[in-house]
Amino acid sequence: MICVIDNLADARVDDALVARVLMTDDRRAFEQLVRRHQGMVRAQLRRLVHGDNAKADDLAQETFLLAWRKLHQFRGEARFSTWIYRIAYSCFLQARRKRSSAKEDIDGDALDRRTSPHGAAELRIDVNRAMRCLSAPEQNVLLHVVQLGLSHDEAAYVLAMPLGTVKSHAKRGKAKLRALLADWQETSEEERAR
Amino acid sequence: MNNEMEDAIDHLLREQFEGPVPDDGFCDHVMTRLSARRRRNTWPLAAGTFAGLTTCWFSLWFSPITYAGWRDWSTGELSAPAMVLAISTISMSILALVWTITEADDRYDLASRRMIR
Repeated sequence: MICVIDNLADARVDDALVARVLMTDDRRAFEQLVRRHQGMVRAQLRRLVHGDNAKADDLAQETFLLAWRKLHQFRGEARFSTWIYRIAYSCFLQARRKRSSAKEDIDGDALDRRTSPHGAAELRIDVNRAMRCLSAPEQNVLLHVVQLGLSHDEAAYVLAMPLGTVKSHAKRGKAKLRALLADWQETSEEERAR
Repeated sequence: MNNEMEDAIDHLLREQFEGPVPDDGFCDHVMTRLSARRRRNTWPLAAGTFAGLTTCWFSLWFSPITYAGWRDWSTGELSAPAMVLAISTISMSILALVWTITEADDRYDLASRRMIR
């Protein structure tokens, strides 16, 4: 309940800041918006570009400059955070098209299923590898829905996908992850039994 | 996949997510690169509204039914032109009301969706 109220309060603060920017071109209000959202937008982009932090930060900068220019197009149909995620995702797609390196996203690293992890660090690596074995849309949906905490509706808005497609990608992605991480689960159960 | 398993996968994914990136001067850098915002031209909207109202006023001014309706209405006589004028006014008010309620509903739905999250 507290989380819900926080979300609502955050959205109201964002709306007020946006209104100040639109009415008076208040740069300080926009600066507050950037400060409030840069962390998550950069985290989103870092995941999308698979850890190329410099590239992610360039895209994040482009995202906020675009948001500054196009702020009058923000109609409050979605939360400001969702709107900015959508711009960031569009910037990412444009950059990827320019580089035409879709192959790297789809192929990813092959998962070494023979690993026998013994701790949190190994599990983290395995989850990372397992994520890369999913298709790009599945990865993107899980990133936005589970890791960034968006609702299915919001993820559909950010990724410009139909709601049903988002739900099916989420379900399929989780099922694949479960299968891919089964080895780790078996190993940890064995360890617990010993 | 059962709910427990789905929760476990969600938990793993959330744990694996590093969370927000620290600012480290990013915001200041963005702010130095902001260009002046271009003000939206408001004159086309104002000119269009003015032209529309003027045309509407002229077309109604020379219409005998509007004149007769207005005259009868102001003297309290319920003639056919006065009824036409009254019905038109009421219809437009109802349309405006419906439009306002629909807009308010959209905003309420949006707020509810935010609450559900």
